[in-house]
Amino acid sequence: MEKLDRSRRKFIGALISLAAGFLLLGKFLSPNVGRKKTLLAVEKASIPVHGALVYRETRVAVIREAGEIYALSLVCTHLGCSVTVTPRELVCPCHGSVFDRRGNVVKGPADRPLMRYAVEDQGDRIVVAM
Amino acid sequence: MLKGSLKITYTFCLGGLAFTAFMLLAASGLLLLFYYQPSPEEAFHSILFLESSVWGGRYLRSLHRLTSHCFLALIFLHTLRVVLTGAYRKPRELNWLIGFALLCLSIFAAYTGYLLPMDQLSLWATQTGMELVNSTFFGRVVTGILVPDGVGQPLSLLRFYILHIMLMPLSVLLLSFLHFYRIRKDKGVLPYL
Repeated sequence: MEKLDRSRRKFIGALISLAAGFLLLGKFLSPNVGRKKTLLAVEKASIPVHGALVYRETRVAVIREAGEIYALSLVCTHLGCSVTVTPRELVCPCHGSVFDRRGNVVKGPADRPLMRYAVEDQGDRIVVAM
Repeated sequence: MLKGSLKITYTFCLGGLAFTAFMLLAASGLLLLFYYQPSPEEAFHSILFLESSVWGGRYLRSLHRLTSHCFLALIFLHTLRVVLTGAYRKPRELNWLIGFALLCLSIFAAYTGYLLPMDQLSLWATQTGMELVNSTFFGRVVTGILVPDGVGQPLSLLRFYILHIMLMPLSVLLLSFLHFYRIRKDKGVLPYL
Protein backbone atom coordinates (compact mmCIF):
# COMPACT_ATOMS: atom_id res chain seq x y z
CA MET A 1 0.00 0.00 0.00
CA GLU A 2 2.78 2.33 0.97
CA LYS A 3 4.61 1.52 -2.24
CA LEU A 4 1.54 2.37 -4.29
CA ASP A 5 1.18 5.72 -2.55
CA ARG A 6 4.72 6.71 -3.29
CA SER A 7 4.47 5.84 -6.96
CA ARG A 8 1.31 7.94 -7.26
CA ARG A 9 3.11 10.86 -5.65
CA LYS A 10 5.95 10.44 -8.10
CA PHE A 11 3.51 10.32 -10.99
CA ILE A 12 1.83 13.56 -9.91
CA GLY A 13 5.21 15.17 -9.40
CA ALA A 14 6.26 14.12 -12.88
CA LEU A 15 3.03 15.51 -14.34
CA ILE A 16 3.51 18.84 -12.60
CA SER A 17 7.13 19.20 -13.69
CA LEU A 18 6.17 18.22 -17.23
CA ALA A 19 3.46 20.89 -17.31
CA ALA A 20 5.87 23.47 -15.87
CA GLY A 21 8.46 22.47 -18.46
CA PHE A 22 6.01 22.93 -21.32
CA LEU A 23 4.93 26.28 -19.88
CA LEU A 24 8.51 27.56 -19.74
CA LEU A 25 9.24 26.17 -23.21
CA GLY A 26 6.18 27.93 -24.59
CA LYS A 27 7.32 31.15 -22.99
CA PHE A 28 10.78 30.75 -24.50
CA LEU A 29 9.30 30.08 -27.93
CA SER A 30 7.08 33.18 -27.99
CA PRO A 31 9.34 36.23 -28.36
CA ASN A 32 7.99 39.78 -28.35
CA VAL A 33 8.28 40.77 -31.96
CA GLY A 34 7.08 44.20 -32.97
CA ARG A 35 4.29 44.26 -30.42
CA LYS A 36 4.32 48.01 -29.91
CA LYS A 37 2.46 49.42 -26.96
CA THR A 38 0.07 52.17 -27.90
CA LEU A 39 0.49 55.12 -25.57
CA LEU A 40 -2.05 57.61 -26.90
CA ALA A 41 -4.61 58.16 -29.62
CA VAL A 42 -5.23 61.86 -30.30
CA GLU A 43 -7.64 63.67 -32.62
CA LYS A 44 -5.54 65.74 -34.97
CA ALA A 45 -7.91 68.70 -34.69
CA SER A 46 -7.38 68.87 -30.94
CA ILE A 47 -3.69 69.71 -31.24
CA PRO A 48 -3.28 73.50 -31.39
CA VAL A 49 -1.17 74.98 -34.20
CA HIS A 50 2.28 75.88 -32.81
CA GLY A 51 1.06 74.34 -29.57
CA ALA A 52 1.30 71.15 -27.61
CA LEU A 53 -0.88 68.69 -25.79
CA VAL A 54 0.74 67.57 -22.55
CA TYR A 55 -0.08 64.22 -20.98
CA ARG A 56 1.37 64.31 -17.49
CA GLU A 57 0.48 60.75 -16.52
CA THR A 58 2.05 59.09 -19.55
CA ARG A 59 4.77 61.79 -19.64
CA VAL A 60 4.30 62.61 -23.32
CA ALA A 61 3.87 65.90 -25.17
CA VAL A 62 2.26 65.84 -28.61
CA ILE A 63 3.56 68.91 -30.42
CA ARG A 64 2.45 70.50 -33.68
CA GLU A 65 5.18 72.62 -35.19
CA ALA A 66 5.29 73.97 -38.74
CA GLY A 67 2.72 71.45 -39.99
CA GLU A 68 4.57 68.52 -38.46
CA ILE A 69 3.25 66.52 -35.53
CA TYR A 70 5.64 64.70 -33.25
CA ALA A 71 5.61 63.22 -29.76
CA LEU A 72 8.31 63.93 -27.21
CA SER A 73 8.94 61.98 -24.06
CA LEU A 74 8.84 64.30 -21.05
CA VAL A 75 11.42 62.24 -19.19
CA CYS A 76 14.49 64.44 -18.72
CA THR A 77 17.57 62.71 -20.15
CA HIS A 78 19.60 63.88 -17.18
CA LEU A 79 18.04 62.10 -14.20
CA GLY A 80 14.51 61.35 -15.29
CA CYS A 81 12.35 64.15 -13.85
CA SER A 82 9.29 65.24 -15.81
CA VAL A 83 10.06 68.38 -17.79
CA THR A 84 7.62 71.31 -17.84
CA VAL A 85 6.29 72.43 -21.21
CA THR A 86 6.28 76.22 -21.69
CA PRO A 87 5.32 78.06 -24.90
CA ARG A 88 8.96 78.47 -25.94
CA GLU A 89 10.85 75.60 -24.41
CA LEU A 90 10.79 72.57 -22.14
CA VAL A 91 12.38 73.09 -18.73
CA CYS A 92 13.31 70.50 -16.17
CA PRO A 93 12.42 71.59 -12.63
CA CYS A 94 14.99 69.38 -10.96
CA HIS A 95 18.34 70.63 -12.28
CA GLY A 96 17.38 73.28 -14.79
CA SER A 97 18.03 71.53 -18.09
CA VAL A 98 16.39 73.38 -20.96
CA PHE A 99 15.25 71.82 -24.24
CA ASP A 100 13.87 73.58 -27.30
CA ARG A 101 10.50 72.58 -28.76
CA ARG A 102 12.11 69.93 -30.93
CA GLY A 103 13.64 68.29 -27.85
CA ASN A 104 17.25 69.35 -28.45
CA VAL A 105 19.34 70.41 -25.48
CA VAL A 106 19.66 74.18 -25.05
CA LYS A 107 21.23 74.12 -21.62
CA GLY A 108 22.64 71.29 -19.49
CA PRO A 109 23.15 69.30 -17.34
CA ALA A 110 21.23 66.99 -19.70
CA ASP A 111 23.42 66.05 -22.65
CA ARG A 112 21.04 64.08 -24.90
CA PRO A 113 17.88 65.29 -26.64
CA LEU A 114 14.49 64.18 -25.34
CA MET A 115 13.36 60.79 -26.64
CA ARG A 116 10.88 60.81 -29.51
CA TYR A 117 8.03 58.34 -29.82
CA ALA A 118 6.88 56.96 -33.14
CA VAL A 119 3.78 58.78 -34.38
CA GLU A 120 1.45 56.95 -36.74
CA ASP A 121 -0.85 59.03 -38.93
CA GLN A 122 -4.33 57.48 -39.19
CA GLY A 123 -6.19 60.13 -41.17
CA ASP A 124 -7.96 62.43 -38.72
CA ARG A 125 -6.16 61.12 -35.68
CA ILE A 126 -2.67 60.07 -34.69
CA VAL A 127 -1.46 57.18 -32.56
CA VAL A 128 1.65 57.44 -30.39
CA ALA A 129 3.36 54.10 -29.87
CA MET A 130 6.25 53.04 -27.69
CA MET B 1 36.86 -5.88 -4.77
CA LEU B 2 39.19 -3.67 -2.82
CA LYS B 3 37.30 -1.44 -0.45
CA GLY B 4 39.61 1.51 -1.07
CA SER B 5 38.72 1.39 -4.77
CA LEU B 6 35.15 2.38 -4.01
CA LYS B 7 36.04 5.81 -2.68
CA ILE B 8 34.71 8.73 -4.69
CA THR B 9 38.10 10.42 -4.32
CA TYR B 10 39.59 7.84 -6.66
CA THR B 11 37.86 9.21 -9.79
CA PHE B 12 35.80 12.18 -8.50
CA CYS B 13 33.36 11.01 -11.19
CA LEU B 14 34.98 13.54 -13.50
CA GLY B 15 34.05 11.67 -16.65
CA GLY B 16 30.45 11.35 -15.52
CA LEU B 17 30.34 15.06 -14.71
CA ALA B 18 31.76 15.84 -18.14
CA PHE B 19 29.04 13.76 -19.79
CA THR B 20 26.40 15.51 -17.67
CA ALA B 21 27.79 18.82 -18.93
CA PHE B 22 27.59 17.45 -22.46
CA MET B 23 23.92 16.58 -22.05
CA LEU B 24 23.24 20.03 -20.63
CA LEU B 25 25.02 21.52 -23.66
CA ALA B 26 22.88 19.44 -26.00
CA ALA B 27 19.65 20.51 -24.29
CA SER B 28 20.48 24.23 -24.16
CA GLY B 29 21.94 24.15 -27.66
CA LEU B 30 18.77 22.55 -29.00
CA LEU B 31 16.76 25.45 -27.61
CA LEU B 32 19.21 28.02 -29.00
CA LEU B 33 18.65 26.51 -32.47
CA PHE B 34 15.15 27.96 -32.44
CA TYR B 35 16.57 31.47 -32.73
CA TYR B 36 20.03 31.29 -34.29
CA GLN B 37 20.36 32.14 -38.00
CA PRO B 38 23.57 30.90 -39.65
CA SER B 39 24.20 33.72 -42.11
CA PRO B 40 26.86 36.43 -41.75
CA GLU B 41 24.29 39.25 -41.92
CA GLU B 42 21.78 37.75 -39.51
CA ALA B 43 23.92 35.81 -37.04
CA PHE B 44 24.81 38.66 -34.69
CA HIS B 45 21.34 40.19 -34.95
CA SER B 46 19.75 36.89 -34.04
CA ILE B 47 21.95 36.77 -30.94
CA LEU B 48 20.92 40.32 -29.99
CA PHE B 49 17.28 39.42 -30.56
CA LEU B 50 17.65 36.28 -28.45
CA GLU B 51 19.17 38.28 -25.62
CA SER B 52 16.77 41.22 -25.72
CA SER B 53 13.36 39.90 -26.76
CA VAL B 54 13.22 36.25 -25.77
CA TRP B 55 12.20 35.15 -22.31
CA GLY B 56 15.18 33.35 -20.77
CA GLY B 57 17.24 33.84 -23.93
CA ARG B 58 20.16 35.54 -22.27
CA TYR B 59 20.16 32.99 -19.45
CA LEU B 60 20.10 30.09 -21.87
CA ARG B 61 22.94 31.47 -23.96
CA SER B 62 25.06 32.14 -20.88
CA LEU B 63 24.28 28.65 -19.65
CA HIS B 64 25.42 27.14 -22.96
CA ARG B 65 28.63 29.14 -22.92
CA LEU B 66 29.50 28.52 -19.28
CA THR B 67 28.67 24.83 -19.55
CA SER B 68 30.99 24.54 -22.53
CA HIS B 69 33.82 25.97 -20.43
CA CYS B 70 33.00 23.52 -17.64
CA PHE B 71 32.81 20.65 -20.13
CA LEU B 72 36.32 21.27 -21.41
CA ALA B 73 37.71 21.78 -17.90
CA LEU B 74 36.11 18.55 -16.69
CA ILE B 75 37.45 16.57 -19.65
CA PHE B 76 40.93 17.90 -19.00
CA LEU B 77 40.71 17.03 -15.31
CA HIS B 78 39.39 13.59 -16.24
CA THR B 79 42.36 13.09 -18.56
CA LEU B 80 44.70 14.23 -15.80
CA ARG B 81 43.13 11.73 -13.38
CA VAL B 82 43.50 8.92 -15.91
CA VAL B 83 47.16 9.80 -16.42
CA LEU B 84 47.93 10.15 -12.71
CA THR B 85 46.26 6.88 -11.70
CA GLY B 86 47.76 5.04 -14.65
CA ALA B 87 44.35 4.00 -15.94
CA TYR B 88 45.57 4.19 -19.55
CA ARG B 89 47.61 1.01 -19.05
CA LYS B 90 46.69 -2.50 -20.13
CA PRO B 91 43.90 -3.59 -20.51
CA ARG B 92 42.45 -0.12 -21.10
CA GLU B 93 44.60 1.11 -24.02
CA LEU B 94 41.68 1.22 -26.44
CA ASN B 95 39.55 3.27 -24.05
CA TRP B 96 42.44 5.67 -23.55
CA LEU B 97 42.55 6.23 -27.31
CA ILE B 98 38.78 6.72 -27.48
CA GLY B 99 39.00 9.16 -24.60
CA PHE B 100 41.75 11.10 -26.31
CA ALA B 101 39.66 11.30 -29.48
CA LEU B 102 36.79 12.62 -27.35
CA LEU B 103 39.08 15.28 -25.90
CA CYS B 104 40.13 16.44 -29.38
CA LEU B 105 36.57 16.39 -30.73
CA SER B 106 35.34 18.43 -27.78
CA ILE B 107 37.99 21.09 -28.30
CA PHE B 108 37.09 21.25 -31.99
CA ALA B 109 33.38 21.46 -31.15
CA ALA B 110 34.09 24.40 -28.83
CA TYR B 111 36.20 26.05 -31.53
CA THR B 112 33.46 25.78 -34.15
CA GLY B 113 30.91 27.14 -31.70
CA TYR B 114 33.10 30.13 -30.95
CA LEU B 115 32.61 31.62 -34.44
CA LEU B 116 28.83 31.35 -34.47
CA PRO B 117 27.90 34.63 -32.68
CA MET B 118 29.88 36.50 -35.38
CA ASP B 119 30.99 39.31 -33.11
CA GLN B 120 34.45 40.84 -33.34
CA LEU B 121 35.97 38.52 -30.73
CA SER B 122 34.74 35.33 -32.32
CA LEU B 123 35.59 36.42 -35.86
CA TRP B 124 39.19 37.32 -35.09
CA ALA B 125 39.72 34.39 -32.75
CA THR B 126 38.64 32.06 -35.54
CA GLN B 127 40.80 33.97 -37.99
CA THR B 128 43.92 33.51 -35.86
CA GLY B 129 43.05 29.87 -35.29
CA MET B 130 42.80 29.26 -39.01
CA GLU B 131 46.13 31.02 -39.58
CA LEU B 132 47.67 28.69 -36.99
CA VAL B 133 46.30 25.70 -38.89
CA ASN B 134 47.64 27.21 -42.14
CA SER B 135 51.16 27.18 -40.75
CA THR B 136 51.09 23.39 -40.31
CA PHE B 137 52.04 20.84 -42.96
CA PHE B 138 48.59 19.96 -44.33
CA GLY B 139 47.14 23.24 -43.12
CA ARG B 140 46.11 24.58 -46.53
CA VAL B 141 44.04 21.47 -47.24
CA VAL B 142 42.28 21.69 -43.87
CA THR B 143 41.46 25.39 -44.13
CA GLY B 144 40.40 24.87 -47.74
CA ILE B 145 37.73 22.49 -46.49
CA LEU B 146 36.79 24.38 -43.32
CA VAL B 147 36.76 27.94 -44.67
CA PRO B 148 36.50 27.75 -48.49
CA ASP B 149 35.59 31.45 -48.79
CA GLY B 150 37.40 32.93 -45.81
CA VAL B 151 36.46 33.21 -42.13
CA GLY B 152 33.09 34.88 -41.57
CA GLN B 153 31.84 34.36 -45.13
CA PRO B 154 28.55 32.53 -45.80
CA LEU B 155 29.93 29.12 -46.76
CA SER B 156 32.44 28.90 -43.93
CA LEU B 157 29.90 30.04 -41.34
CA LEU B 158 27.47 27.38 -42.58
CA ARG B 159 30.19 24.73 -42.36
CA PHE B 160 31.12 25.73 -38.81
CA TYR B 161 27.43 25.71 -37.95
CA ILE B 162 26.74 22.21 -39.25
CA LEU B 163 29.94 20.93 -37.62
CA HIS B 164 28.95 22.51 -34.32
CA ILE B 165 25.32 21.46 -34.12
CA MET B 166 25.41 18.11 -35.93
CA LEU B 167 28.67 16.36 -36.68
CA MET B 168 30.65 17.12 -33.53
CA PRO B 169 27.83 16.40 -31.03
CA LEU B 170 26.94 13.15 -32.84
CA SER B 171 30.55 11.95 -32.91
CA VAL B 172 31.03 12.86 -29.25
CA LEU B 173 27.84 11.02 -28.34
CA LEU B 174 28.74 7.89 -30.32
CA LEU B 175 32.29 7.78 -29.00
CA SER B 176 30.99 8.37 -25.45
CA PHE B 177 28.76 5.33 -25.70
CA LEU B 178 31.69 3.33 -27.02
CA HIS B 179 33.73 4.72 -24.10
CA PHE B 180 31.11 3.57 -21.58
CA TYR B 181 30.76 0.19 -23.26
CA ARG B 182 34.52 -0.31 -23.03
CA ILE B 183 34.46 0.52 -19.31
CA ARG B 184 32.11 -2.40 -18.75
CA LYS B 185 34.12 -4.69 -21.02
CA ASP B 186 37.25 -3.76 -19.05
CA LYS B 187 35.41 -4.70 -15.84
CA GLY B 188 34.90 -1.20 -14.47
CA VAL B 189 37.06 1.85 -13.97
CA LEU B 190 38.62 0.62 -10.76
CA PRO B 191 41.80 -1.37 -10.74
CA TYR B 192 42.38 -4.85 -9.30
CA LEU B 193 38.91 -6.30 -9.46
